[in-house]
Amino acid sequence: MTVVVAAAPRSRSRPIAATLLLAVPVAGLVLFFLHPLATVLWRAVTDADGTPTLANFARLLDDPGLPRAAWRSLAIGLATTATTVPLGLCLAMALHRSRLRGKLLIRGALLLPMLAPSLVLGLGLVCLLGRNGLVHRLTGLPTDIYGFWGLLLANTLYGLPQVTIIVSAALARTPARHYDAATSMGAGDGRQFLDVTLPRLRYALLAAAFLVFTETLTDFGSAVVVGGSYRVLAMEIYSEVVGQLDFAMGATLGVLLLAPALLSVGLARLAKRRQDSGDARPGQPLVPRRNAPRDLFLGVVSVIALLPLVAIVATVAYVSVVKLWPYDRTLTLANYTTGMPDGYGPVATSLGVALAAAVAGTPLVFALAAGLRRAPATLSRPVQFLASLPAAVPGMVLGLGYVLAFNHGALSGVFYGSAALVAACSLYHYHAQSFLTMQTGMRQAPEALEDAVVTSGGGTRHVLRDAILPFTVPAAVSTFFYLFMRSLVTLSGVIFLVTPTLGLASVTVMRLDENGFLAQAAAYAMCVVIAGALALGAMRLLLHAFKDRHHVA
Amino acid sequence: MRPYRQIGSAILLLAGSAAAHAGTVTVYSALESDEIAVYLDAAKQALPDIDIHVLRLSSGDLAARLLAESAQPRNDAIWGMAVTDMLEPRIAALLTPVRGTHINRMPSAFRAADGRWFAPTGFLAALCVNREALAEHGLPMPRTWTDLASPRYRGQVAMPDPASSGTGYMLLSSLSDAGRDPKGMQVVLDIARNVGQVTLSGSAPCKLARIGEFPIGISFAFSAMQSIRQGYPVSMVIPEGARGYELEASGLMAKASNPGDARRFLDWTASPEAAVLYRGYKEIVAAPGSVPSAEQQREGLPADLVATLPARDFATAARERAALIARYKRLTR
Repeated sequence: MTVVVAAAPRSRSRPIAATLLLAVPVAGLVLFFLHPLATVLWRAVTDADGTPTLANFARLLDDPGLPRAAWRSLAIGLATTATTVPLGLCLAMALHRSRLRGKLLIRGALLLPMLAPSLVLGLGLVCLLGRNGLVHRLTGLPTDIYGFWGLLLANTLYGLPQVTIIVSAALARTPARHYDAATSMGAGDGRQFLDVTLPRLRYALLAAAFLVFTETLTDFGSAVVVGGSYRVLAMEIYSEVVGQLDFAMGATLGVLLLAPALLSVGLARLAKRRQDSGDARPGQPLVPRRNAPRDLFLGVVSVIALLPLVAIVATVAYVSVVKLWPYDRTLTLANYTTGMPDGYGPVATSLGVALAAAVAGTPLVFALAAGLRRAPATLSRPVQFLASLPAAVPGMVLGLGYVLAFNHGALSGVFYGSAALVAACSLYHYHAQSFLTMQTGMRQAPEALEDAVVTSGGGTRHVLRDAILPFTVPAAVSTFFYLFMRSLVTLSGVIFLVTPTLGLASVTVMRLDENGFLAQAAAYAMCVVIAGALALGAMRLLLHAFKDRHHVA
Repeated sequence: MRPYRQIGSAILLLAGSAAAHAGTVTVYSALESDEIAVYLDAAKQALPDIDIHVLRLSSGDLAARLLAESAQPRNDAIWGMAVTDMLEPRIAALLTPVRGTHINRMPSAFRAADGRWFAPTGFLAALCVNREALAEHGLPMPRTWTDLASPRYRGQVAMPDPASSGTGYMLLSSLSDAGRDPKGMQVVLDIARNVGQVTLSGSAPCKLARIGEFPIGISFAFSAMQSIRQGYPVSMVIPEGARGYELEASGLMAKASNPGDARRFLDWTASPEAAVLYRGYKEIVAAPGSVPSAEQQREGLPADLVATLPARDFATAARERAALIARYKRLTR
């Protein structure tokens, strides 16, 4: 895209470049998100013959289980937000505002739930804290995770990395001068947190809360494993679509779940306000002061928050190497080699799909966030809403939309059954998270610097390169890895897109578990974790090599 | 321009690999991956000139997929899908009658009069009972469906949701005689009250029972026998009273791109050679004279199982499904 900009005549370059910056990612959103979503949600407002009707919404009112499921979804959404956001804030503070040692461990532990196929969290919870889980067998305590508390735990663990990533994007690259100034005015660490750190975090915290809340409403992966008889809305959608093949009712519930996405409009307004309009240089990087009580507190919270994550993945790893969980715990590696009808080919396919989603997604999201910086409110608000909307769409609804939109018609010849379509589905399923992370990071870039570049005759390309990119690199890197990891293991949407010749690792794990091979499912999941971790490590090394050569980060 | 052309051809290649060509049959199946592998090996020997591609999905996911793709179906045949799911009118409409030497010889209870489906195999409702967990809670072994309705099992049962699982619906439909028997309906409701975890699939309750999460899982015989074979402390109980069962039906898609080869493959799945293989996995095998293996009988499968199955009107069960589930929902929530 930037090539086009450079080639264009000088006088026209700015508007064209700025337009393209927005137009390309928005076109992607329209084609690969709005179009399939509209295709499926259209069924909510039409009957079998395609005539517009509101009968489906009337049927909603008629369903006795629904109001209760809605209240429960709301309760679990609020509870999850209230626990996840403070914990994520503490973890991000531990990473960026403490002198704790072992930050690498914190980062590593946070990666675990993202690298593990979605089944792992549920499987691990059951094997660890279930009625006959490891904890019960070792201590005799009457553990029982089925119901509200199990659901809260599962959703919190799922959302934690996300919150930490977003808050971290706002904490990275903070110039030391803010804190130096506060110190010279005699403010202590507590005061500085309240007066300097928190105001800078307002957008990040709101974006994180928005994501955790909407995602908890749409996620049915945890509900199905540990929900017990605590039925939430996402379960109802599944039972309408897959159980009763009532796409219209599933779509109607899907429309209902879109409502919280309206909250993101508020984010749009906030996003316009820059947090840093001061001077144009990042200045000295911040080195946190020595403060033992703060570090102790953050350290303790981090351990409390991360211990379950590590324990759960460790439990699954343990399950994968025992003979017959939980009755015969003789160690064996047989589960990794026998009883895998699909073989390990799907892991390679998934790695390719994940890489494609991350490589295509990161620049698109970057362009979108950059393009929105200067767009007028009439344009930026709807676009912000559209970009955040995917968080409110259950993966199953999106996957169904993909089949309905791309199975027949003009685009089907190109896309049907292709890995590219799976990559697109993964990318747009996690678009909101990526976009909001990028936007949070971009807010670090001072407007003054942007103005300075423009005044000195720089075009859009120069603004991006000299003013925005240097501040956004950490967020862009997080976005890339986030998209990579999520696309590697996502299941709910892509289950509709696999074909006999296109297998995916997450689907294989699900199949093994469905067919009653717990140990093999655990073993396959661990292979995905290891393959993902190796790929991440390799990409990190590449990034370091690049960094050393170009001094970008 | 060149990189674009390369990207374009790569995408076309990816898309093209999914499209069918001569001698290739694409089959959607709800059978389990491990058994599919065994059957396919034999099928490829019997039909060496056909390249068979199978996509495995759970019965519900498969039904949703078929419906979503119905404007332009991507498969030639359906192989082993719960018959009440297959007879959902919108899915049944995608099928065309299929006949063949072996299919025509199948017992009439296991195929449709109009040839739209045939079912070489089926599954039977059964309880997976974890003896260790049952003893830990000091509970007696349930023997009948009415036993299971007793409040002493409160919170100790895992059961599939009738709204999302064929097994769950089979239980509801057969115990309540499709909703016509109020006493039977009450038993189902009492059992539902004892449920500690509702699951989406019919095999999941058995999997919870085998690892001791819940002492009792309402599931089907295949899962119970698999648990016993794998060495879990599990007993299979086929509750006395109404026998719930479901058939695994196959059929030919009306818009199949390779109907000839698809028909040959389907006919093979109804052959005696295939029936021998089914015995390794299935409790209900339609082939005349096929009796449960010695191992299956030891695990608790009656030798005369197929003869004792009550006649079921699958077409009606499929048609009344939505109404019965709606009623069940109203009564349980």
